Amino acid sequence: MLTKGDKILIATVILVAFVIFTGFQIYGFTGGKTYAVIEINGKEYQKISLGKDGPKMQLKVAGFIGDVVLEIDRDKVRVVASDCPDKDCVRQGWVSKPGQTLVCLPNRVVVKIQNTESTNEVDGVSF
Amino acid sequence: MAKTKKLVYLSLLVAGGVALHVIESMIPVPFPVPGAKLGLANIISLLAIVLYGTREGLEVNILRCLIGSFLGGSMSSLIYSLSGAISSTLVMGFAVKYFEKVFSLVGVSILGSITHNFAQVTVASVVLSTFGIYSYLPFLMVVGLLTGGFTGLAANFAKEKLSGSVGLMETVDRRR
Repeated sequence: MLTKGDKILIATVILVAFVIFTGFQIYGFTGGKTYAVIEINGKEYQKISLGKDGPKMQLKVAGFIGDVVLEIDRDKVRVVASDCPDKDCVRQGWVSKPGQTLVCLPNRVVVKIQNTESTNEVDGVSF
Repeated sequence: MAKTKKLVYLSLLVAGGVALHVIESMIPVPFPVPGAKLGLANIISLLAIVLYGTREGLEVNILRCLIGSFLGGSMSSLIYSLSGAISSTLVMGFAVKYFEKVFSLVGVSILGSITHNFAQVTVASVVLSTFGIYSYLPFLMVVGLLTGGFTGLAANFAKEKLSGSVGLMETVDRRR
């Protein structure tokens, strides 16, 4: 039923789909500036712009039950240490892509990665 | 006489396509991917291409899209389905004409559905003016592989039955 050409075509399509998928995973598609927005107890505390020329620093944030130490390395953010019992925030590791978040629930500290282009857009259309 | 016969058969194909188009819009999509659909009407376009040729396939498909959108759809869904239909019919017609030995109808149908996906994503990226929509293409391509294979299989069975009974083949010279 299936000819050799069919099988080659199917393999090619899967390969191309995979390449496009990984390409977008690695490079992303957003232009514009990327920010790390630090929120404490739901209120915005600080906004740090990320990128190739971003800061390289450690930042101590006073959370709800203790301090949260954030490390910002050019275009990515992580939690180095936190005064919370479970350390889930530390285990989350680095985040860098718009839409990703770091959360320390006991301290009520949230770090959101946002992008100027993606925040001003509607995220749905109907047709 | 042959001309009238052809007219009748093409009209029947259009009618079948419209019926499938409308029926398909009533079927819930079994994939967790918005925008994906079975593409049942593709069976008819494929039949029209195989039995008559690219030009007739294009006629049938465009008419099917117009009538189908009038019956249940909106202006923007018409733009999406027309762009997909025209491009996929052209590619499928080309594949049937020049690569008949290489691809079976399943392969031709997969080619058509991938082209359809690509055209729709391109139109969507123009309409929404964002390049990001293309990140959605891989998912549509994989779904298109399955649905395209299915419609190709269906068209293959339909072709065998039709060419034996109705006498579509004797009325027209195949493929010009």
